[in-house]
Amino acid sequence: MQQLLTTSLAGLTLGMVYAAFALALVLIWRSTRIVNFAQAPMAMITTYIALLIVDAGIPYWIGFVAALLSGLVLGAIIERVFIRPVEGKPEMNAIILTLGLFVVINAVAAIVFGSHYRSFPVPFGLRGFEVGDVTVALTGFDVFSICSVVVVMMLLLALFRYTDVGLKMRASAFNQEVSRMLGVKVTGMLTLGWALAAVVGSLSGLLIAGGDLVYPSYMDSVVVYGFVAAVLGGLDSPVGAVIGGLLLGLGLSVVSGYVGSELVPLAALSILIVVLLVRPSGLFSHATARRV
Amino acid sequence: MKSWTKRMTPIVGLVTVGALVTACGAGGRPSGGGDAAAVSAPETGITETSVTIGATFPLTGVAAPGYSEIPTGTQAYFDYVNAAGGVHGRQIDYIVRDDGYNPTTTSQVTNEFVFKDGVFAMLSALGTPTHRAVVDFLNGEKVPDLLVASGSRQWGDDPEAKPYTFGWQPDYEIEGKIIGQWVAENMPDAKVGLFLQDDDLGEDSERGLRPYIEDQIVEVQRYTSGNTDVAPQITALEAAGADLVLGFNVPSYTALSQLAAMKLNYDPQWFYANIGSDPALIGSLLSNFSKGAVAATNPLDGALTTEYMPGVDATDNAWVKLWQKVWDEHGEAGELTNYRIFGMSAAYTFVQALQAAGENPTREGIVDALEKMGGAAANPSLAPYRYSVDSHLGISGMRIVEINDGASDPLTPVLVTDLGDSPIEEDGSAADDGPPASGIPESAG
Repeated sequence: MQQLLTTSLAGLTLGMVYAAFALALVLIWRSTRIVNFAQAPMAMITTYIALLIVDAGIPYWIGFVAALLSGLVLGAIIERVFIRPVEGKPEMNAIILTLGLFVVINAVAAIVFGSHYRSFPVPFGLRGFEVGDVTVALTGFDVFSICSVVVVMMLLLALFRYTDVGLKMRASAFNQEVSRMLGVKVTGMLTLGWALAAVVGSLSGLLIAGGDLVYPSYMDSVVVYGFVAAVLGGLDSPVGAVIGGLLLGLGLSVVSGYVGSELVPLAALSILIVVLLVRPSGLFSHATARRV
Repeated sequence: MKSWTKRMTPIVGLVTVGALVTACGAGGRPSGGGDAAAVSAPETGITETSVTIGATFPLTGVAAPGYSEIPTGTQAYFDYVNAAGGVHGRQIDYIVRDDGYNPTTTSQVTNEFVFKDGVFAMLSALGTPTHRAVVDFLNGEKVPDLLVASGSRQWGDDPEAKPYTFGWQPDYEIEGKIIGQWVAENMPDAKVGLFLQDDDLGEDSERGLRPYIEDQIVEVQRYTSGNTDVAPQITALEAAGADLVLGFNVPSYTALSQLAAMKLNYDPQWFYANIGSDPALIGSLLSNFSKGAVAATNPLDGALTTEYMPGVDATDNAWVKLWQKVWDEHGEAGELTNYRIFGMSAAYTFVQALQAAGENPTREGIVDALEKMGGAAANPSLAPYRYSVDSHLGISGMRIVEINDGASDPLTPVLVTDLGDSPIEEDGSAADDGPPASGIPESAG
């Protein structure tokens, strides 16, 4: 019983990190219609910025905020400098470009930050809570992770559903030409989409790094699992991304604990294939009918 | 007829060129067997003034913490020897390349060592999966593959199949045997959980352990190198009620398993195999996490491990004094660490073998020298080597220690054994020997 509880809780926290990453993918997808594979190394860079700040003796939360802000700036810069030239061309061009950025940023980070393992501090304790005799295998930081992902999801939901900016972002992604005619500043919206997505990506980088080892490619597995989570939930839906992340985290944790850790990547890919076969648009997507 | 000659001309040309190239290749690499040839045409990688050797290490990636320090120790010792005039007047030229603990990269950089740099030998190439990718290639090319830095038994258990390869540290199987016997005798009531890396490291050690503690094992969990989420594995060990966890894992996984256990409030007796147990490294990885909260005491305090060479904490040991002197004179930035001592000890053994191989060393000569050196030579580890014509396995034993304040307290004398059924015996023969005054092995051989 304790094992099931602990395995599930471990899956829950892990799932939340995947969810945060999937949210960033969803955000970019909704605002630009491309999948950004460079999300992982971008988040890695901002996490290193936080680590440098914290290692310099400055409080954790200042590093945390600095990472999110630098994510905002980095996202905007990457959109302006690298993505802008391929906008309006086939979507595949932009996707391949993000793959290229993935490799380049990883390599540059190894040169700038060094490729050795560093431990990333957490602002709360590392021990799990104890309730009576039962250990609830959640640390303070795990609770923080779960809460912050839920909050971000709500904010995104509100942004797209209730605000003018959100509507404009969706419109620019959906049909640039028409949006422009209606007076939407499409380029500005695209930059904003990238910047916001990079903030959410940075958050996921910080959440997975906390209390773990950080090295330039530490986000590489998250990009795979985050992508599976996003596809699972339907690339269009923030709620879907979070639920997809949770299901995936729980599933992989159970596979790792009860079957064998060597089967985790295989399980993730099986889930991806099954979802693509059975519901190609994801469990929570309802856009297919309209998109034809 | 005309068209036939036309067609044949390029073919004949190709064959001729091919034959020429082969001939040149053969000429460039002397057979090394005949003494006359060895004297007139020096061996590959050897000149009048230098010996070039190569090594592959994970300088980046999952296995880099700790292990990437090993070549800095080796380099410092070679600088020390070179400053004293080298070996038979030759300077040792030591080239290290990063393989990122990725076997594909290991193959690629080993090819470069053999074909581009023309190294005399490989020294202390690190890692089981990585070195497995190149061991047949090196033996095929007849490149001495000395003191492989991995405890897999495959480097030395069959010298006929791999005549040029030599192991170095005690293999995981004898480590498993020694740990298994100690647990059976000293903690007969413990419920044992195994935390194993899913490769030779886990398999060999489990084979050594099983005969002694078969009925004490309550759970076996394996992790896949690269998957850093070990919470499910540690949870399963806890669920099975294990109160003694034997971990055969690399250092970063010691840190990860400790983190996972902290989260679960799981507090068994930990027993890490030598390769994953460096207290200084694990302590520094773990203490950073909470900015001091874990640092008050070393998180590995009270954990058990094994030791087969004196570590930095043994400041009175004659070998450690030598290593400290070498590091102060020739080391790069940073402190002397156990990993650097490991690198220096292997470098010492290489110099020992190179001295014994004589004025004009050949590849076969150094293999013979190591086989003849056997257990007799003074060596920086606690137990004698096992090198002989029938075995290329390295150090024959270790002692069990408890980690306290980051230092190790011996719980047993040095215990030596060999593969399979061979008995475990106490051995003090190599525990107290010291280095020669010069710090460089004498050339008597």
